[in-house]
Amino acid sequence: MTHRLEAHAEEWLDRTAPLRFTFEGREYQGYSGDTISSALAAAGVPYVARSFKYHRPRGILSFANHDSNTLFQVDGVPNVRGDVTWLRDRMRVSAVNTFGGLWRDRARVLDRFARLLPVGFYYKAFHSKALFPRWERMFRTLTGLGKVSLGAPREATPKRYGFCDVLVIGGGPSGLAAALAAAQAGAQVALADEALRLTGNGAPPALVRAVRDSASITLFPATVAAGYYADHWVALAQQARMTKMRAGAVVVATGVIEQPAVFRNNDLPGVMLASGAARLAARHGVAPGRRVVIIAANLDAYATCLELHARGVQVAAIVDLRAVAESDAAVSACAALGLVVLRAHAPYEAVRGPEGTVAGLTVAPVNEAGHVDASAQRRIDCDAILMSVGWAAAMQLYLQAGGSTRFSEELQQFVPVDSPPGIFAAGRMNGVYDLESRLADGRRAGSQAAAHVGFGVPSGTAVARSTRCPSHRFPIFDHPEAKNFVDFDEDLQVKDLENAAQEGFDSSELLKRYSTVGMGPSQGKHSNMNALRILARIRGVGVEQLGLTTARPMYHPVPMKLLAGRSFYPERRTPCDAQHGALGAVWMPAGNWRRPEYYAVSGESRAQSIDAEVHAVRSSVGLIDVGTLGKIEVYGPDSAELLDRVYAGRFSDLKVGMTRYGLMLDESGVIIDDGVIARLGEELFYFTTTTGGSATVFRELLRLNALWGLDCTLVNVTGHRAAFNFAGPSSRGILQQLTDIDLRDEAFPYLAVRSGQVAGAPARLMRVGFVGELGFEIHVAAGRGREVWEALHSAGLPLALRPFGVEAQRVLRLEKGHFIVGQDTDGLTDPLEASAMWAVAMKKPFFVGQRSLRILQARGPRQKLVGIELAATAPLPKECHLIIDKGAIAGRVTSVTHSRALNKSIGLAMLSPDLAQVGRDIHIRTDNGDMLAARVAAPPFYDPKNLRQKADAGA
Amino acid sequence: MSALTLELREKRDRLGLKGPRAAEWLAAQGIALPMTPNTWTHSEGAVAAGAVLVARLGTAEFFLEDGAGGTTLGRIAPALDQSPPGVYPVLREDWAFLLGGDEVHDVLAQVCNVNFAALSLTSRPLIMTLMIGVAVLVVPQSAGDGGQSGSAKRHYRIWCDPTFGPYLGESLGAVVIECGGRYTGVSG
Repeated sequence: MTHRLEAHAEEWLDRTAPLRFTFEGREYQGYSGDTISSALAAAGVPYVARSFKYHRPRGILSFANHDSNTLFQVDGVPNVRGDVTWLRDRMRVSAVNTFGGLWRDRARVLDRFARLLPVGFYYKAFHSKALFPRWERMFRTLTGLGKVSLGAPREATPKRYGFCDVLVIGGGPSGLAAALAAAQAGAQVALADEALRLTGNGAPPALVRAVRDSASITLFPATVAAGYYADHWVALAQQARMTKMRAGAVVVATGVIEQPAVFRNNDLPGVMLASGAARLAARHGVAPGRRVVIIAANLDAYATCLELHARGVQVAAIVDLRAVAESDAAVSACAALGLVVLRAHAPYEAVRGPEGTVAGLTVAPVNEAGHVDASAQRRIDCDAILMSVGWAAAMQLYLQAGGSTRFSEELQQFVPVDSPPGIFAAGRMNGVYDLESRLADGRRAGSQAAAHVGFGVPSGTAVARSTRCPSHRFPIFDHPEAKNFVDFDEDLQVKDLENAAQEGFDSSELLKRYSTVGMGPSQGKHSNMNALRILARIRGVGVEQLGLTTARPMYHPVPMKLLAGRSFYPERRTPCDAQHGALGAVWMPAGNWRRPEYYAVSGESRAQSIDAEVHAVRSSVGLIDVGTLGKIEVYGPDSAELLDRVYAGRFSDLKVGMTRYGLMLDESGVIIDDGVIARLGEELFYFTTTTGGSATVFRELLRLNALWGLDCTLVNVTGHRAAFNFAGPSSRGILQQLTDIDLRDEAFPYLAVRSGQVAGAPARLMRVGFVGELGFEIHVAAGRGREVWEALHSAGLPLALRPFGVEAQRVLRLEKGHFIVGQDTDGLTDPLEASAMWAVAMKKPFFVGQRSLRILQARGPRQKLVGIELAATAPLPKECHLIIDKGAIAGRVTSVTHSRALNKSIGLAMLSPDLAQVGRDIHIRTDNGDMLAARVAAPPFYDPKNLRQKADAGA
Repeated sequence: MSALTLELREKRDRLGLKGPRAAEWLAAQGIALPMTPNTWTHSEGAVAAGAVLVARLGTAEFFLEDGAGGTTLGRIAPALDQSPPGVYPVLREDWAFLLGGDEVHDVLAQVCNVNFAALSLTSRPLIMTLMIGVAVLVVPQSAGDGGQSGSAKRHYRIWCDPTFGPYLGESLGAVVIECGGRYTGVSG
């Protein structure tokens, strides 16, 4: 353990509890209280990762879970975040994005070809359509970080909703002060902080204790507020779950993110942010190096020096970018200790040692304009370089919430200027830096947030922003040999951004998309600010004129498992679900329903079972559960008027006791639904919709009814009524045994509706014929569904009844040439194209879509839905196979099946009107490019005069 | 301590009513009505065995469920056969659940975005919302409201479309079991 420091009281370690783990196959030891990253740092592992593009070795950078260097594959789980994952005994850790392991990564050769891989090279090099499959394979191999392991343990990650009056994001001094102030005002407070433990980050210990002890504050440690959504809904990503927190008000005390200096080799292992080094030492007793150099541009650098020096770390030099010393106790203390301070000096190049890690830092004088005098460079030997040159406000949640910002030249950071209602900024992200001011700012924000939701009165006034600038205005230093990285995720150097701007991508948005700056796992936390500065220099404008981009949620990478949660899938089942299961149903999804695709019978193949089900309907009787159809009632004096307006057909003249097919259009004349409308009384209609359309249709009808102010009421009984179609030449004879309704033609003609009892249950019967045989649709209360199904099933068995599923129904309806909305029609199909004008009453004064349909009539159809036939011996094309004419696409197959009754294959196709004449030969291109010969035919294919469904066909 | 339990309730007589004269008709049948939408009451105005729960879903929309052993709905329903004008019966074949126990709010926080714990029961609120993707009607009650006896804790009566009943029961039951409770489902 080459980097472990002496134990101290504040550290998180239990040094009596050693933990053994492996990294890249080698065994190491850490302690309970270590994270993966701290244990690797303590063990002196020279580097922990390879960079994304050039596969350069990388070490710990932020130790804040902000950078991508510390993503690991852990026990089969990819992209585990090493900075904030506790070390466990026997953990198996490896690096991601390597070929042959971290130490011998074969892809490290890419670093030598960096000159050949300039910004945007993939846009310029890989656009050939012919070669695209090769490039795609190559990039899929090269890119990506961790590897998904199907054998990785599945962890339960249930989501939950959270509620609070005030959500405080950030557990620093201002966040803690805000939380306590809000709680003291009477609010229920939630406090989220991304650190593994709530330490206060420099806050007075009494404040930390008060927050911990408050019964009104719920703590969310190790939690990233990853996204802000409307109405103060914030996604809190915890390690094992996502909490969707709904708050009355939000205090954004997200602090600032330390920014790197940009100089040659600033990505070498051993170069890290000073705040990360301080956390490593304070929490985990790990020295960032034995001899460190600090690049300084603020007082934080001096404080870090003192802390490391006190823990036994040798500070080789403080390289201060500024010429004038700040007056501060920390500066004086460093001087008193005799620490070497090089003022007006800049880092010129990090020197690479034999292990590939930092062996020194070359520095050179720098003037006020930022020009480095390379001729006067000197080398300082060290094994770590710490960067403390400035901060960027963690502003993304605030921006997502609708806050606006301006760039403060005085502070060299963006600060809030206009917060939306219920959003309160506080602390360093608000430009307030010294401790007392941060506490006061937090108390103000907490009080205002509590008052916003009705607790107490707001207290405190706006706290003045800092007068000392904590950030250097341009900590970026050119080098003729480059490798001065701006974005560590994407291996972007200064010259890449300069070249992108030169090529015309010179706005912050365009620069981001072309160069990919800020698009890696870090989401620009360490690169966006410096990229803006570089772009501002190129364009000769201020950062203020470029503005800040708003990252969309999630701002921080969130594991997919947290988004998935428990994977609920709302599924509807009809009342006869158990009966179907007992009969061997093979299930298929239909919308959000599960329906029997067919009923498996021992000794039969799938095709044989479907064929037998079809045959039963054609020859005797079949029974299908159609309870999934939408079922809506409309009551009241204006019921017929409503239906006349929402359906294309006329229903005001429909006689009581009769049904009529209805076609529903949208305003553009496109078919959106269909069904059967039954008139049960002068002021009562009962109608069906498609299986997938019930909720949408019902909502739309409610909307239109409210809009038009009609005197009628709609009731959706889709789930509350079971429905069956009992069809086949024997259906009437069997059903008559079970019902008190007279089923004879003269009493119950085709398309009639009757009410009565079936198997003792009150029922509505409709004599309709979707499958083209004599049949009855039977609707009963859901609670009576099972007994009615069983009665029908039992009564039919002596006459060879078979229950039939969706597949058999598809064959039967296709033999009749009936189209299915959404399958044979699409989002552009109108009744003219679907040959369904027979269901449209254009003479009505109004219906939805009528005006558009008039225009479409004048224009003529762009496609026609036609029947097609293929020889029985021909291979069956697939639905959506294209119809080709003279080398061009002329249509597509929408439905196709083999018909045993007709001894040929039949289907429907959407076809160019000039090819839509009956008898015309067409050609269908299959998956392998073969062309199948087919012929346009006129549906219905089966019983074209509809005699079987209208009369007692041989029962 | 009260054990966390999800119970699928036995089928009781239920009735829905919509229409501009539904309130007037119910009152004429001697049914006490909640004064405002999204609240509920008992038909007798107080808790009694067999009392009808009357939920007002909107200005002109009601849901009624007989109490255990109740006969009220069976008595008034035949009058609807006369098709009184402006009164439209709504078939209600809902599945009904009772969710209760000490950890009930932990379960609800995992399945619904309504803050049930913050609800005051004095106004007898009813909530129409989505629970794990399913539209539900929820009535929070405490002992003495005619719900589960012997418990001073709050419990929740939940109704849903019967076709979502198996899914809601299985999914909600799984969460309950994961939280240390039990699901006493019966065949719906």
